Amino acid sequence: MNKLKYLGKRLLMSVPVVWLGASMTWFIIFMGPVDPASRLLSEGQTRNPAAYEAAQIQLGLNQPPLQHYLDWMSNLAVFDLGQTWLLYQGSNVNALILDFLPRTLWLGFWSVLIAVFVGVPLGFYAGMRSNTASDYVASMGGIVWRAMPNFWLAIMLLTVLGSAYTLAAGDFFALNFDWQTIGPNLDSISGSPDLSRLDTVDGFLAATKKVLPAAIVLGSASMGNEMRIGRTAVLEVRNEDYIDLAKAKGVSKRALVWKHILRNALVPLVPIITSEAFLLIGGSVLVETVFGINGIGNLFYQAAIQGDLPLVGTLMYVFILMIVGINLIQDLLYTLIDPRVGLEGS
Amino acid sequence: MARAHETTSGTLLPTNSPAAVWAAIGAVLFAAQGGAFFGFVVGVLGDLLTVTPLPGAAFVTAVEAAVEQIPTLLSRDVIPNDGYWNGSRWVGTFLGLPPGLAWGIRAALVYLYAFVFAGWVILGYRLYRREYRTADWTPRDDMVDRFRGHKWGIFGLVVVFMFVVMAVFAPVLGPTTVDENMRNSYSNEITYWDSDAEAVQTTLVGEANLASQSRGDNPERVLPMEYDDFGRFHPFGTLPSGQDLFTFIVSGSRLSLVIGLLSVGLSAGIAASLALVAAYYKGRTDLGLVLASDSVMAMPQLLLLIMLTTVLSGTWLAEIYSGGFVLALIFAGTGWTYMWRSLRGPALQVAERQWIDAAQSFGQRPLTIMRKHMLPYITGYLLIYGSMTLGGAIISIAGLSYLGLGIAPPTPEWGRAINLGQDYVATGSWHISLIPGLLITLVVTGFNALGDGVRDAIDPQSDATTEDGAAGRGGGA
Amino acid sequence: MSVGPDEEPLLAVRDLEVVFHTEREEIHAVDGVSFDIHEGETVGLVGESGSGKSVTARSILGLVDSPGSIEGGKVGFRGDDLTDDNWERHRGDIAIVFQDPSNSLNPVYTVGNQIKEALRIHQGLRGNEATDAAVGLLEDVGIPDPRRRVEEYPHQLSGGMQQRAVIAMALACDPDLLVCDEPTTALDVTIQAQILDLLADLQREEDLAILFITHDMGVIEDATDRVNVIYAGEIVERAPTGTLFSEPAHPYTEALLRSIPGRTNAAERLPTIEGEVPTPTGRAEDCRFAPRCPYAFAECHEMPPEHVDVGAERSAACLLHEDGSEEAAERTVFDGSEAVSGGDSA
Repeated sequence: MNKLKYLGKRLLMSVPVVWLGASMTWFIIFMGPVDPASRLLSEGQTRNPAAYEAAQIQLGLNQPPLQHYLDWMSNLAVFDLGQTWLLYQGSNVNALILDFLPRTLWLGFWSVLIAVFVGVPLGFYAGMRSNTASDYVASMGGIVWRAMPNFWLAIMLLTVLGSAYTLAAGDFFALNFDWQTIGPNLDSISGSPDLSRLDTVDGFLAATKKVLPAAIVLGSASMGNEMRIGRTAVLEVRNEDYIDLAKAKGVSKRALVWKHILRNALVPLVPIITSEAFLLIGGSVLVETVFGINGIGNLFYQAAIQGDLPLVGTLMYVFILMIVGINLIQDLLYTLIDPRVGLEGS
Repeated sequence: MARAHETTSGTLLPTNSPAAVWAAIGAVLFAAQGGAFFGFVVGVLGDLLTVTPLPGAAFVTAVEAAVEQIPTLLSRDVIPNDGYWNGSRWVGTFLGLPPGLAWGIRAALVYLYAFVFAGWVILGYRLYRREYRTADWTPRDDMVDRFRGHKWGIFGLVVVFMFVVMAVFAPVLGPTTVDENMRNSYSNEITYWDSDAEAVQTTLVGEANLASQSRGDNPERVLPMEYDDFGRFHPFGTLPSGQDLFTFIVSGSRLSLVIGLLSVGLSAGIAASLALVAAYYKGRTDLGLVLASDSVMAMPQLLLLIMLTTVLSGTWLAEIYSGGFVLALIFAGTGWTYMWRSLRGPALQVAERQWIDAAQSFGQRPLTIMRKHMLPYITGYLLIYGSMTLGGAIISIAGLSYLGLGIAPPTPEWGRAINLGQDYVATGSWHISLIPGLLITLVVTGFNALGDGVRDAIDPQSDATTEDGAAGRGGGA
Repeated sequence: MSVGPDEEPLLAVRDLEVVFHTEREEIHAVDGVSFDIHEGETVGLVGESGSGKSVTARSILGLVDSPGSIEGGKVGFRGDDLTDDNWERHRGDIAIVFQDPSNSLNPVYTVGNQIKEALRIHQGLRGNEATDAAVGLLEDVGIPDPRRRVEEYPHQLSGGMQQRAVIAMALACDPDLLVCDEPTTALDVTIQAQILDLLADLQREEDLAILFITHDMGVIEDATDRVNVIYAGEIVERAPTGTLFSEPAHPYTEALLRSIPGRTNAAERLPTIEGEVPTPTGRAEDCRFAPRCPYAFAECHEMPPEHVDVGAERSAACLLHEDGSEEAAERTVFDGSEAVSGGDSA
């Protein structure tokens, strides 16, 4: 009944989830078949017992496992994330994250925006005109789009944007399309966006344009899904009695669509939109790699293949926090949109 | 109530039993290709077992060799395509046709056989339903009929079927074999017509590959449906290493399918058991499972995959099937959560039914209740979410191999082909990245369509607003 | 209230035909239905599930959506043929109340919001004026503490109160005719009585005409002045309520009456009508009740019966009442209280 109480309960439930997730991560990294210490050292150094021991001590692996576990968890809880071993050797992990994370967040922000503001209206459009040609085209498009591997789409998009095109109609006019120069100038079409000048119009536009292709790719998968579910939601709501009653009351067609149908169709979309956010976090690795964006997903991947396992564990913890946080935002949104929430609890 | 003697259709042969005709057709079909079927099964088993210290490994290899001796109709020996031009005609190809045509015939025949086989199965089902089954009608009939009219679902089924055929018949479908073209290219020779010397020459396959590389706009590049300088036909062109892309793709499809099936099967098993247990016991068991699955889901699947593959690489587990086995395990371990979430709803609904209470009241054992009274009601949903998860798994596997993780190079996998070709997309060698990507899109669309079709057949009023949004996405790829 | 036969009816439905085109077949849900409703009177429409009563109700309001459409006949309201795309002009003159009150109110807006919506459209009220009027309406329909209720969401009200709120919303349009489609079926028996009383009061106070649709003969007996009996998309009998109950003219009516608990001898089994209401897939070619009728004879299976006057202001569509038929000589009017010879299953 009380929305605050419901939110409080959800918040409380998140704590064991984070704890379990972090524990599983610790188990995989430090109790797994690979020895994190030996992974950190190069080939030559592994045979050097002194170097090996030093690495072990630095990692805290000479302690009994339980002690190590407690230390590690308490460090994470206060965000004392230590230093890196191999990647950008010796840098403070906190600083590294603060440097890399904003780029991923910027990418994620635009991906969600695109997915929602393109996918949902398309879905509503298809739902309102269901079983017509435009519905079929839109739905088919959404389905195929959703089946494309996003890293492949990224490659294709990069190729398309990398060349300049000319649309000419004889001598009358010629339209030049060069992604690099349209709007704000980009020195290269791939690479990290420069987020230092977001407060200026020019800086904002440049950073947006830089990340737009990647955001389109990342958002495209969710877009297809949101379209499909938006369409279904609209179809369902349209058939409800209260829509008929509103029509019988004489509500105008526009108000019927915007006030009654769409507002209700949004309700089932909220969990989808936010659950897509999880996938964005995972998929960002691939997209960041193709587009050369130095975000936190790329960092994770680099750490993994280079063997900096402690960093991998720490980053996973950050991801867990992000996802649980998104879950909570989803619950918050849900309570705002649907007044029935809070009654049954979950 | 066998009505075998009053069948509604006549038969061509002088027997009165359609079942006998059907069985005879089946025997013919099976005899023609039995060797290939056995080869597939034994081959997969062998791959899985060769690295384990189990004693069966040597035995399996011996069986594999023996199976290969079984004559089959549609094999490389009967319809060969790797002959050569000797100045006046083609030698060593099927009917003296150009290799491209011979390959095309063989591939077409393989698919023809597959569809005939499928038709035979369907015919058998219809025969059974019409003549031999005691019940006049079961609820499943309605589902099957609804599926039959569902164009989108049928499309999905056809695409999936063709993909499975590609995987099963991979050794026969390619213009050459993985062994000859890729793994042992310097131990195999080919004969070809050297137009400069106007004579028949031989060379190592590896050397021939080096001269057929597709790297951008270089003149030696081989585009789809072209011959290279050595008289070899490449339906999909060649890779930057000169290897045949089509053979790469079909053998990669086998890997994707097997790993996909394995992981989805395991996932489904875990998810279904947990869903039934949680729905039956409810209360704290359910809560605990929700907690556990939330925790696993709190770790992004792709990242978890990367983490686990890195951690487990170099172990004996990762040797099996070129890393495919451990991949399947990891997939199952991380993917069960989405399926479980999707099955939880239907399972809880079934648990509310009164026949469950009735069974409990007369002392039926919990396991039996779950198996007999609850499981049949969620198998439909298992099919739906299973097929969608399979599509997602294929994308994830491709994504991982694109990154160089998961399947160890040089084993063929579709994602790796995309990686190998990514620098050349804007050039004359555009085919290397484009074709595998298109194929992935097609196959995944097929799986999703199949899932949609099954869902509409099982419950025409259901909708898509459940958690399957996550199930069909492969964790982020 | 009785009215003279030459007074212009408020609602005149003539030969209404509604057809649903599904993939497999055509369903003639309403097949030539005609009846009148005069100002201030309550007319009943009674029939089993699947007889077409709800479709009739929706077609009067113009709420029939694909795959169904009105394909013939007219719905005359004060002379205007509504089927000529005239519904928009008469919005608010006819209001409807559906069976399931929990589905009749938009869940994401407050009760007051939805009532005020109608007030704004039909009476031009806004702001505090509208709120006061809404509170007044809630009071009129018997909801206690209306000032508080007007700010609440539909899910916060009980079923009975929801239905009252729906009635209030309908009244806000200041209608001349209120169509009630099984308004009490989903409610408790005690609440049912209250709602029926409410409707009777409102009719008196507002001079409202009511079309009462139900399958419950008991409710018909209490609440209506005249009754139409519908079977498989056709009206089979029309009569003033009292006469219908004491002297039914159609075998179907007779069977319906016999199946009311309490009307047969307590020692005997409750009679039922064997079989089911057929789904009409084409225009009528015979009497649709014939397969289940105990008095059916050869002609009944060959030609559809027309309505024949069987008394003052009443008619029935049955060949037994056609002049000249042999069986007509035996019985023209059935005695509703006698058990039919042949046992308890008709």
